[in-house]
Amino acid sequence: MSLARKIPWTVKYRPRRVDEVADQEEAKELFIKWIDSWLRGRPEKRAALLYGPPGSGKNSLVEAVANERGLELLEMNASDYRRSSDIERVAKLSARGGSLTRARGKIVVLDEVDGISTAADLGALESILDLVRSSSHPVVLIANDPWDPKLRDLRDACLMIEFRRLTKTVVKRVLGAICSSEKLVCEDDALDFIAERSEGDLRSAINDLEAVGEGFGRVTLSSAKALLRARDRDLNIFEVVRKILMSKYAWQAREASTQTDASPDELLRWIHENLPRQAQDPEDLWRAYEALSRADVYLSRIVKSGSWDLLAYAVDLMTAGVALSIKNYQYKFKWVKYSFPETLRLVARTREARQVREDLAKLIASHLKCSTSTAKSEVIPLMKVIFDSNPRYSARLALGLNMSESMVRYLSERNGDAIVKLVEELRRELAKTGAERRGSATVPGAQQAPVLSKKPARGKPGGSASRGLDSFSKSSRG
Amino acid sequence: MSSGSALTELLWAEKYRPRSLQEMVNQEDIVKRLQVFVKERNMPHLLFAGPPGTGKTTAAHALAHDLYGEDYRLYMLELNASDERGIDVIRTKVKEFARSKLPAKAPFKLILLDEADNMTADAQQALRRLMEMYVDVTRFVLIANYPSKIIEPIQSRCAVFRFASLKREDVVARLKWICQREGVTCDDGGLESIYEVSGGDMRRAINVLQAAAALGEVSVSNVYKVVGLATPAEVRALLKTALFEGDFLKSRDALRKLMVTYGLSGVDIVKQLHREVFSSEVAIPEDMRVEIADYLGEIQYRLVEGADDEIQLSALLAKLVLLGRPLRQQPQPPKPVKR
Repeated sequence: MSLARKIPWTVKYRPRRVDEVADQEEAKELFIKWIDSWLRGRPEKRAALLYGPPGSGKNSLVEAVANERGLELLEMNASDYRRSSDIERVAKLSARGGSLTRARGKIVVLDEVDGISTAADLGALESILDLVRSSSHPVVLIANDPWDPKLRDLRDACLMIEFRRLTKTVVKRVLGAICSSEKLVCEDDALDFIAERSEGDLRSAINDLEAVGEGFGRVTLSSAKALLRARDRDLNIFEVVRKILMSKYAWQAREASTQTDASPDELLRWIHENLPRQAQDPEDLWRAYEALSRADVYLSRIVKSGSWDLLAYAVDLMTAGVALSIKNYQYKFKWVKYSFPETLRLVARTREARQVREDLAKLIASHLKCSTSTAKSEVIPLMKVIFDSNPRYSARLALGLNMSESMVRYLSERNGDAIVKLVEELRRELAKTGAERRGSATVPGAQQAPVLSKKPARGKPGGSASRGLDSFSKSSRG
Repeated sequence: MSSGSALTELLWAEKYRPRSLQEMVNQEDIVKRLQVFVKERNMPHLLFAGPPGTGKTTAAHALAHDLYGEDYRLYMLELNASDERGIDVIRTKVKEFARSKLPAKAPFKLILLDEADNMTADAQQALRRLMEMYVDVTRFVLIANYPSKIIEPIQSRCAVFRFASLKREDVVARLKWICQREGVTCDDGGLESIYEVSGGDMRRAINVLQAAAALGEVSVSNVYKVVGLATPAEVRALLKTALFEGDFLKSRDALRKLMVTYGLSGVDIVKQLHREVFSSEVAIPEDMRVEIADYLGEIQYRLVEGADDEIQLSALLAKLVLLGRPLRQQPQPPKPVKR
């Protein structure tokens, strides 16, 4: 029981037999006729293209048929199409083996073929066509939108089977059946509400039902509204950005920004990341960045002055200001792929290196009595030159400044190992001469080496400087 | 190139920094006046103003050294306002130290605020009050590149010392002296070119000297090699990609690399871009150079005011992509017409 609960309902209530598949009578008939024609040898069309809106039963029908006839499914989806070698592998598998009359026949299923982008998956469509021509098993292609020009050749090679958008009544009937099977108390108008908002997508309707049922233990109209409306508001941030950039009116863009929980600062970053992909006209891009950078100025004024009243202006500029700057409609409504703000990723990936750089800058600043930003922009680049070109000398510097091992490696990837080794040698040597010079004094540990620098320390390093140095020698010990 | 058998080495800018006023070889007038303060064991608040690397910080430390001896740091609080510039630091650290009891034998304590022109305006206001309240036990030494960024009431409470840019022969002579002490081979051409790349900034000159020496000898070619290696190629690449190729995304990637990998701040990048914009090696139409400079100034102002580095610099890139459009439409480098 507890195990069964963990299976999502969309899987749990997947049709096992053809008559369990909701509606789509015409598609069922066409598809079954075509599959059966394989029993009599190879039909004229080797492949069928099942198309229709999401959640209308395309996959379910294929699975139900395979299940009833005891056929094995060989599946691929869009993410696999990246390499045509993968398609060829499947093609080989499917070319082998006899026909459906054999003990275990196969159906080759390629899902989401309309997700193939011709530029990125160069050759993938070619490979699919080859597969269709050479396969000795039925090939089923699945798509939401088959009318893309790039799919024309494929369309010609396939038997086209259309799946209609499911009606609200059909969706509601399935939901009701699931409710009684789950022994859930369901209000009728709650099911109406869920079915209505699914717009014929049975998969999403079942997901919604499950969310409400699991969350509240019973499905009432008010609970359904509370949960699903909230989810509506929290639109995927990609979609919010897309909505903003494609807005034609100021109110549209401003309203879109209310549909996310992202902070204004985050939203700014997401718009910044994806704006240049959408606004490809240089004039648009410049205008949009004028607005976006002004929004950023307002945000900085909020931080400085603490007056949150200014937020409204920042949001106006980053939404409406940006949206209305994009005037070239050739690009404005074009669907382009958006991405996650790269800087956040970059920053996360380089956190350690940046920490080392900060520590090094502080160390140098304390020695040269300059700011850390001067150390970073002026001194560290020159030290990198030294560390890249003269390991011996660098080792002496590393020792004199009491650098940690990671600082040495930061300054030279190329010579890092060599310099670290040289530093160790110098330390041992220093400990030896130091011991001799001190005569009977206790043998100083290697870590004390810098104190024994030939030049006597001039004055004590200032408060912060000495704290800094202590921590550095500690970290170099580790 | 080592000085004898030394096992450790320091940065020469630290190693050869004058420790006392007497050791200072430049800014003679200023040094003389400071030595009077030491003799009288009394002085007003001081404001040292002048370009980078002209001895302001060195003079301040030397002054403290001569006043208090080797352990002068016990009597002095030093802060770099670029790193700690907020009003909180003034209210806590500075105030604590300013009001603390006067150590025996010391006429007053010193508070050294380096790069004070980077302090926010309200921090300066807070500072002004402290300067008045604790003047009997504490003297301030403020150091700034641009004295005009210090508010008027503070300026009027300080004796202002203007540090002039170092003269070519002074810089070269000092570099030569260091080379002798270090036993480094150098030629005059090499030393002259260090002056060329660093202007009158002694700290930068000495840093370049040390890097060139690490390559073997201080020659013209080594100096330019060092400077070339130390300047991220991405700055120029960024400018060219945006202006001549019109590829915004590519130039933004270069920008991110500069910020994240090299750790350059937005202001650093704007300043380096400014240098590139007027470089003869980048073929920008003359009037456009000025137009870009104007925009750079606007961006730098916003950054100083606290705006976001990446957003503001991206706006700059978008501007460059637009400005460069006419350049990209005509055949790129005007090729000689074949007859």
